Amino acid sequence: MTVEVMVGNKAAATAAKLSRVQVAVAFPVTPQTTIVEYLNEFITKGEMDCEFINVEGELTAQVVVQAASRIGVRTFCCTSGPGCLYMHHPMHDTSSLRLPVVMAVVHRGNKGMQPDHTDLMSHIMTGWIQWYVENNQEVLDSIIMAYRVAEDMRVRIPIAVGYDGYILSYTAEPVDIPDQEEVDDFLPPYKPTPSLMPEDFDPKAPRWWRVPWEEHHKVIVDAKEVIKEVNEEFGKRFGRSYGNGLVEEYRCEDAEAVIVAMGTIASTAREAIDNLRAEGKPVGLVKLKCLIPFPYEDFQRIGSEVRAIGMVDRNVCLGVGGVGHTFIRNAIYDLEERPRVLGFHAGLAGKEVKVSDIEHMAEKVLKAARGESVSPLVEWV
Amino acid sequence: MIEIRFHGRGGQGAVTASRLIAEAVAKEGRYAQAIPMYGTERRGAPVTAYVRIDDKPIRRRDLVHEPDIVIVIDPILSRKPSVAAGLKSGGLLLLNYPKPPEEVEIGGGFMVSTVDATTIALETLRRPITNTAVLGAFSKVTGITKLKSLEGAILKRFPGEIGERNIEALRRAYKEVHPPKPAKGSLRPGEELPHVTGYGVLKSVADWRVFRPVVDLEKCVGCRLCWIYCPETAISLVDEKPVIDYDKCKGCGICVHECPVKAIEFVRETV
Repeated sequence: MTVEVMVGNKAAATAAKLSRVQVAVAFPVTPQTTIVEYLNEFITKGEMDCEFINVEGELTAQVVVQAASRIGVRTFCCTSGPGCLYMHHPMHDTSSLRLPVVMAVVHRGNKGMQPDHTDLMSHIMTGWIQWYVENNQEVLDSIIMAYRVAEDMRVRIPIAVGYDGYILSYTAEPVDIPDQEEVDDFLPPYKPTPSLMPEDFDPKAPRWWRVPWEEHHKVIVDAKEVIKEVNEEFGKRFGRSYGNGLVEEYRCEDAEAVIVAMGTIASTAREAIDNLRAEGKPVGLVKLKCLIPFPYEDFQRIGSEVRAIGMVDRNVCLGVGGVGHTFIRNAIYDLEERPRVLGFHAGLAGKEVKVSDIEHMAEKVLKAARGESVSPLVEWV
Repeated sequence: MIEIRFHGRGGQGAVTASRLIAEAVAKEGRYAQAIPMYGTERRGAPVTAYVRIDDKPIRRRDLVHEPDIVIVIDPILSRKPSVAAGLKSGGLLLLNYPKPPEEVEIGGGFMVSTVDATTIALETLRRPITNTAVLGAFSKVTGITKLKSLEGAILKRFPGEIGERNIEALRRAYKEVHPPKPAKGSLRPGEELPHVTGYGVLKSVADWRVFRPVVDLEKCVGCRLCWIYCPETAISLVDEKPVIDYDKCKGCGICVHECPVKAIEFVRETV
């Protein structure tokens, strides 16, 4: 293990190298990130035995990475913001074909070039597993873990690992790089398999589409158990794990209210929660790492333990609201005693989220937990 | 936690300087975070970068609003009081400035230290890339990182002769920096920062120049090549001879390069 100060993009490329990716496909210029530069540096220096395929656009990037995965190699793709949106259609196929592609998505909002989660969230219906990470170490660790999960025969679903542009992609901080042998032990070589379609699959039969849709959905829902297993094993081997792999609870013991945050906002929120705890305020943080499959069970348990939840969404589903906010309210509906759920839209189009902003949100949620009236129930910070 | 803000221009290496500090600090077993702040700037546009240093992992990911130290690696920006906006009382303002701290016009409840990094850079690197020189001064006046750690970080990033020359700049600045004095100047920093990102139409880019092109009209043969090549249309023709609008001139030096009779001299801007 060595420590190197690196930006998020180098952490992503290093993870691809350590995972012994055989084919990487990407559109190489804007909105691409420096991930491709690091990959090509590794390949040119002979540190990485990988075919890098340059393509003329992200739609092609997704199609080519899909083809490479079908042929039977470990594949990697990376993109950002508008590029991520441009590959929407073939992303559906990658997941329907049950191909274990791993893709780094450097968040850049749908409006402007600063980060928010609207790019990857626009793909919540594509059948990809989606993770949102909070620091460069987690970028590296999560991409390695993603291959283990995606290639597990119980899963075989592509995974997108998202991290905030600029805030992580170009910010340098120390990252522990595990030894190649340790990663090799954790992540065995990729075993290609024939199609996962059922043997008696007949596309001409009436209502044939029900089988792949229903099975696809169930497999993603059940992937939660595999994600937990892999996260736990990673923790045992490398000394680092991320909650239960789906959510991480920080200082939630005896909390009356919790803030739920994703990506780098969760990182900043830890500071805010520490400050409020120091003042004796019983608030905690739940970091939502895995958006798809959504950890309903965890939120049902958390919802039965606290009086109020405040979801900080770095996104908005226009005309609906915050994606996390909507999902959490959905999760707690079946509880007999439901907590109050407040929503916050923060950090959209790269708007800075300060420690004081999160303190304000957590205090408001605590007020709600104590039965005081708060307004508005959904706030734009 | 120690928080630092850098001001410089694209091309002078403010972002690299912030990363070199982070690498040096990590080598010494502490934690650091180097955050660049840029949009679509080009070489020459003002840029900002931030560094946080702590004994434990750094979690907050907002920008630095009340720095302990402000470092300005550009000599022209070093004259602007707004660079000290938000600087903590008792903090340090480290300027790339050719005069001693007593002659700095920026004032407030902080200390100011100066180093003539542009001259050092021109003499060691032969180009006005001032980041490594300023880092030498930073190491001396703050003691936050050892010179040796910075040298290691520089050599790792720039192996060979370029690294050696940068280390020479670093060491010279370490010796030549003026120690901090209370900032007694009359100009107070406002609330507003100078350009944080480079969007918008600027009225003047004169601040971007390190060198100024000066036309010798006696030597000029009126060939118009400078007028054709100027990327900023800063040159107009009056009686077939070039006249430079210095508000539009960024000091790129293309006209100096193109002039077939060497009638344009590149003169260093004085502070």
